[in-house]
Amino acid sequence: MANGNPKVGIFGLTGCAGDQLQILNCEDELVRLAQRLDIVDWVMAKSDNDHGCRLDIAFVEGVVATERDLETLKEVRARARLLVAIGTCAVFGGLPAMKNSVPREVLQREVNEEGVDLDSVEALPPTHFVPFDLLLPGCPIERSEFLRAVNALLAGTSPELPRVPVCWECKARENVCRVVHFHEVCCGAMTRSGCGARCPSYGVACAGCRGPIEEPNYDANITMFAGRGISWVEIARKMSAFSAPVWMKQGLEQEVGRDDAQ
Amino acid sequence: MTTHSRNIVIPHLGRIEGHGGIFVKVMGNTVYEVNMDVFEGSRYYEALLRGKHFLDVQGIITRVCAICSASHTVAALTALENALGVPQSERVHTLRGLLLLGATIESHALHVFALALPDYLGFDSVISMAAKYPNEVAFALRLKQLGNRLQEMIGGRAVHPINTLVGGFGRLPRHADLAKLRGELEASLEPLMGTVELVATLALPEWAAQDTVYVALRPYEEAYRFRGVSICTSRGEEFPIASYREVVREFTVEHSHAKHAALASGETYMVGSLARLKLWGHYLKGRARQAFERLFPNGVVDNSLANNAAQLVELVHSVEHGVEICDELLGMPEQERELLDYEVRAGRGVGAIEVPRGTLFHEYELDDQGLVVEANVITPTAQNLANVERDIRTAVEHLLAQPEPPDDPRLKLDLEMIARAYDPCISCSVHLTRLE
Repeated sequence: MANGNPKVGIFGLTGCAGDQLQILNCEDELVRLAQRLDIVDWVMAKSDNDHGCRLDIAFVEGVVATERDLETLKEVRARARLLVAIGTCAVFGGLPAMKNSVPREVLQREVNEEGVDLDSVEALPPTHFVPFDLLLPGCPIERSEFLRAVNALLAGTSPELPRVPVCWECKARENVCRVVHFHEVCCGAMTRSGCGARCPSYGVACAGCRGPIEEPNYDANITMFAGRGISWVEIARKMSAFSAPVWMKQGLEQEVGRDDAQ
Repeated sequence: MTTHSRNIVIPHLGRIEGHGGIFVKVMGNTVYEVNMDVFEGSRYYEALLRGKHFLDVQGIITRVCAICSASHTVAALTALENALGVPQSERVHTLRGLLLLGATIESHALHVFALALPDYLGFDSVISMAAKYPNEVAFALRLKQLGNRLQEMIGGRAVHPINTLVGGFGRLPRHADLAKLRGELEASLEPLMGTVELVATLALPEWAAQDTVYVALRPYEEAYRFRGVSICTSRGEEFPIASYREVVREFTVEHSHAKHAALASGETYMVGSLARLKLWGHYLKGRARQAFERLFPNGVVDNSLANNAAQLVELVHSVEHGVEICDELLGMPEQERELLDYEVRAGRGVGAIEVPRGTLFHEYELDDQGLVVEANVITPTAQNLANVERDIRTAVEHLLAQPEPPDDPRLKLDLEMIARAYDPCISCSVHLTRLE
């Protein structure tokens, strides 16, 4: 379909394909988008793909967990004028990066039998390897944010992305605070908004799936949780999924190891 | 005359979820090797779960796979509740049933219309198919959206649900929302029967025919259901769910990042829509029964390509049964939240669910603090992979033995159709294996 529209590629590295699925889930808008874009390379949705052409916009989801992923990523970067990371895996590493403190050989032994070459490397976000032009976090991405971003890119500008934490949206929805009233580890104060504080609105604490805000105050959060009688292990366990920096994840491994030894 | 061996290679299968390819080595008309390569990277989810609190399990394991996220959620919660001895209230059981139907509607609508049907109608994608079949494609997208909205209403989000908790739900759907979706489900039934007519006109290629053993869960009541009480095979065997590790024998193969599986006899087998129809099709009622009889006039045929038609029958069932479940829920008093209290204790539990691609097993062992000691997940795609390879082998031999064998591009397309008929979910299949 050579319609003179911007050429677009959508790529999945190692991951759950959830961000690509969210794009497919934009059913109504996708039909209209297809008139303004020329999607030339999207293996998940098409069988006739052009794997070599220049791309005006490329979207990448997932983490780099194999050498092959890294090759794909570098090829896509070389082909694309604008490279957009979609999803928390692509931006921050997400859940697959949670076990990076454990050597791959150990993980492989735990999960699989020996003798199978899994071409497995430490799971790292694509942003670790190549420069990106735009980052859209979320596990999965929010459809509305994706559509706003595409619109902005087509107009030659950058989308306005929220910089405030989830708490801000949560207060606007007048939810009852999960920390103050239920003494739960809620990652809302550390996590970037854009989800409309979905989880607290369902009476569930924020897991931090959109990744940390620009300058999260981890210490203040930990103090806030600890002050409500929540144990360090519990705090670290909750924060280690999406929110916490590496030092905390390593701390958790040690804590759990110590518990086992007792 | 010398015969050289040659390779038929499909490096990257399109229109499936995840990354996989097909490699076939033939000499003359004899197939020497068939590999369904799975090169999706490893994420070691079971290792991620070790030491995690059971309350965090669902949020982690759901992220194995997007399109199966509601299915993994229900399987995980069922297994965890079995480990903890938490009963399911009637409302929770019913709502989870509706969540599974939403997932089935979304997944089957996407697969039948957007991923598989373009092959049969001669298009490379649903986007190009939309030019000739605009009404059918628009309807399929609406149906998929309806499946998503059911999952949003119950799970809080279409991908990776957040409202689904051990013991219940954070927030229950409002009656007004239920009634609205009930109306939309009911209104989709007629147009859906129209697509049954379209699919009934498509010829089923003979070259994919082959006897297979089918495996599916016995439904929890005498009806067509996606949750079950025991593991049944098409040979009449029946096993308790707790013995699933004895029934499903997993093994590693060199060319695949996903494990393969076989029965104790060493035979490969098929799970999924066709297997469920084979074992429990006689339970179908109403429009689903009509669709079944229209698409399978002589009963279930042993041909993996027929799985697409079987998915369509299940799509009709899911829409029709969805209306009934909405009525049941509307008959219960409206309330804000339903979350049972329970004690944390050490234990082990299995959850087995029929999900769009077949039988899914989750098992967790918890210590007395509620921390995960061991986790094991066996996905339908991992169970099907060995059977996909067996079907591809037979198909290549049938196709090459024809008086006019297909050229290589056509042959490759035929093989892709087999792989796609199983609706493989590669994300799920990779390394969801035992952690001990």
